[in-house]
Amino acid sequence: MDEIRVYDVSAQIGYGFPVESLETALKWNPHVLVAQGTSTDAGPYYLGAGTSYTESECVKRDLKLIIKASREFGIPFICSVGGAGADVHVEGVLRLINLISKDLGTKLRIAVVSGEIDKDWLKKKLLSGSKAGRLVNISRLSEYLTIDDVDASVRVVAQMGPEPIIKALDLYFRGEVDGIITGRSLDVGVVAAYPLKFGMPKNLVYHMSKILECGAIAAEPGSSSDGIFGVVNKDYFLVKPPNPRRRCTVTSVAAHSFYERDNPYMEKLPEGYLDVTTAKYIQYDERTVMVSGSRFVPQPYTIKLEGVKLVGFRSISIAGSRDPIFIKKIKSILEDVTEVVKDRLNHIPQDEYVINFRVYGINGVMGQYEPVKNPQPHEVGIIIDVVAKTQEKANSICALVRATLLHHGFEERKTTAGNIAFPFSPSDFPAGPVFEFNIWHALELEDPTEPFKIKVIEFPR
Amino acid sequence: MVKLYEVAKVIRTKNAGPFKLTIDIFFTNTEFYEKAKNIITKHLISRLYNVSEDFIEGIYFVDSVLGVKITIIKEVPSDDVKTSDVYAAQQHGPLIDLDI
Repeated sequence: MDEIRVYDVSAQIGYGFPVESLETALKWNPHVLVAQGTSTDAGPYYLGAGTSYTESECVKRDLKLIIKASREFGIPFICSVGGAGADVHVEGVLRLINLISKDLGTKLRIAVVSGEIDKDWLKKKLLSGSKAGRLVNISRLSEYLTIDDVDASVRVVAQMGPEPIIKALDLYFRGEVDGIITGRSLDVGVVAAYPLKFGMPKNLVYHMSKILECGAIAAEPGSSSDGIFGVVNKDYFLVKPPNPRRRCTVTSVAAHSFYERDNPYMEKLPEGYLDVTTAKYIQYDERTVMVSGSRFVPQPYTIKLEGVKLVGFRSISIAGSRDPIFIKKIKSILEDVTEVVKDRLNHIPQDEYVINFRVYGINGVMGQYEPVKNPQPHEVGIIIDVVAKTQEKANSICALVRATLLHHGFEERKTTAGNIAFPFSPSDFPAGPVFEFNIWHALELEDPTEPFKIKVIEFPR
Repeated sequence: MVKLYEVAKVIRTKNAGPFKLTIDIFFTNTEFYEKAKNIITKHLISRLYNVSEDFIEGIYFVDSVLGVKITIIKEVPSDDVKTSDVYAAQQHGPLIDLDI
């Protein structure tokens, strides 16, 4: 084929998109409909708890429109789904697809590519000498992934590259499936799989995919709930939003390389990296930008692993103060209260709980980065934040901190009936389990498809 | 002298993964962009954000879009129990009053 046309329907499945945009894009004859639905942006909780950060009604609405369009136009869809993207998250979306299949009154056969990494497989891999180096040089992460890290994690996913998706596309071209659903996936890979399969140049495909993956965010005005269309051939690619209210400009497209990335010139990929330093952006017409000239540099193949471990359970209490002396002395008051509480809790080892005060009006938003020293606001907001081994312990320590702070007798105190105001009764809120990433490593892999199992599922089930 | 906050079209911050904070500044005026290029150094960011220069991974200037990117490795990552900003969306404060 001379060119491949890809329509990315939205920045994230579940964020919505205008139906008119999809209808316009379909008139431009896309070969494939794509959308991403996995991310770590919302934090480690969702991978640990096995829940979704997008609302299921919204996910169902988006997927239904994509699947319906795909069936009517006889083109495949490739969607990564489920937020954190482990099997439990994908299963939740497959239940929605079952409903969609019934709603549309159509049978569906879908290739489901798992993004979850079997912990036994991973341990065997490590034991047989494969290395997984940490992706960021911070002490909390093991320099190289260990068996203990894998055992400590609740579940592990990996950002699959385009290769497992290309393997699933083979099923599509053999007439065995109608579309592809994946778990955790490299966003760029979801877009890149189809044009790579048809031999388009890697530098252009990866660069186009980088721009398309966040939907209309690369347009002007940008939006995370609208689509963007891409056409790639052997020499260049074009990007254009179907929504007539938006346009792609040289600036909106080039500036997109900044978005959520640590380096605007370099995009890390499983099979190497993309260098856009030499890219050329040309305003092709009023609403279309033409891009060429970026470089793809191959490197040994790696996949990014993500895993979380449980660190405890949280309980919080929300309060405020309007007293000038309290506010002036707040730092030492909170230190004293922490000491009093620790003393009362001397039967619990100190490494089994964390007491943290977040003081809005002083440094609640920026913490250590806050440059304003000694502010004197007329009121402050305080969140008492306790994380402990069990929910019961977190609740009781939070209650103890809250009561101690309310009645703490600091020097020069005039407000002897209570130091803080609570907006709510009850004043304390159990917030459930707390997770943190303990796996954020790049695993060397000879076969990019090895850990990603593909199943064909027929709907309605 | 004008303040960065007044002359920048965009000053935004976000995670680049949970362990990095990335700051993007875009200008519409080439003169202010060129001035910012001379002013924004690792030394300045280290002072404004109270972090060691070793934690500043990179400062990038992209002339074609009048954009500056600053990436800092976080001492308190966004998945840490003590984080104050899970998405790191409100960490631009120290740059607001920067004289350009």
